[in-house]
Amino acid sequence: MSDDHKHAPMVDEVSEFEILEIAVRELAIEKGLFTQEDHNTWTEYMHTLGPLPAARLVAKAWLDPEFKKLAVEDGVKASLEVGIDWVRTMPTRFGTPSDYCSFRVMEDTPTLKHVVVCTLCSCYPRPILGQSPEWYRTPNYRRRLVRWPRQVLSEFGLQLSEEVEVRVVDSNQKSRFVVLPVRPEGTEGWTEDQLTEIITRDCLIGVAVPKPGKTANDPRPVRKALKPYSH
Amino acid sequence: MALINPEKIALDEEMRARNLENSPIGLLEEIRREGSCWEDLASKWKVDNPDPPWKIWLDATCEVLADKNCALPALERRWEEDDLSEELYQDVPFPERQLLALAHSMIRRGLIDEKELAARKKAVEKRLNMVDQKDGELDSVASCT
Repeated sequence: MSDDHKHAPMVDEVSEFEILEIAVRELAIEKGLFTQEDHNTWTEYMHTLGPLPAARLVAKAWLDPEFKKLAVEDGVKASLEVGIDWVRTMPTRFGTPSDYCSFRVMEDTPTLKHVVVCTLCSCYPRPILGQSPEWYRTPNYRRRLVRWPRQVLSEFGLQLSEEVEVRVVDSNQKSRFVVLPVRPEGTEGWTEDQLTEIITRDCLIGVAVPKPGKTANDPRPVRKALKPYSH
Repeated sequence: MALINPEKIALDEEMRARNLENSPIGLLEEIRREGSCWEDLASKWKVDNPDPPWKIWLDATCEVLADKNCALPALERRWEEDDLSEELYQDVPFPERQLLALAHSMIRRGLIDEKELAARKKAVEKRLNMVDQKDGELDSVASCT
């Protein structure tokens, strides 16, 4: 997917923030809060993360009813088919530091739409979906989605009819989710690779639906809420 | 329909009660005011990478702080980041805001000291500028040959 692709940065200028990041990291290592080796291990692991495995899992599920059944019943086992071992590939060797132990694939239907949030912080299925986008981390999204899901989804450009039930799934320290959206019309006869292209990160979170020809996430500027969460 | 873990409500109250000291920190205020954010640098240098190159190291630092020694648990760090983002660093874009919040949390918790951090920052800056100067010298040598 195009949002997955990062060009090599070529900025011939050192910023105060870049210096601060290095200074914080070096001091933490000196004080024994962690080792350089541990930091390197995490950095290398993070370089491997991205949304592609989750997109491939959904594409496989669309093409293979048996695999879809497995994905919905046992997300951890199905993840192995797309190269993600939720336990052993993490640097901690027992899941994330936030104590991961469950991964679920939430299947949409024409009358049921799932959308993922973490109301507590920003828990996210990183091993299979990469780093969370900024908007997912904001209190604005986290607190408002559970109160006004239809309105928030419409702000993302996703208008749902009243016949469609919206189900918000709340991640936590032990449970992570991705959405298995409905396969769109116009994709009959497509290969797994072709289908994977249109299953964007936002489709997997549930704030968008896949469409033929749409292979990138829309820009999501963080805006002030129409109904702030303090209401 | 929302499926929310009811335990979160109790945890929410507990975390609120801890209330990290959110007053401004001089060094970080200076960086907040004067630092160039990635979106400006990227625009200036015509780079289309959405994230600064240091973001992955910042993310790794956050993770590794919550690993093994658990010097700074992930949940507490994120809560403090939320509060600081709303109260002190709301005009700073992400991920610069995340970095300032992390440094703020670490100073207020006594994991690092503001003066030590200021001194280290100067040392890092000097080191990086020396590298830049050396690169410049090499460039000029290369251009002469």
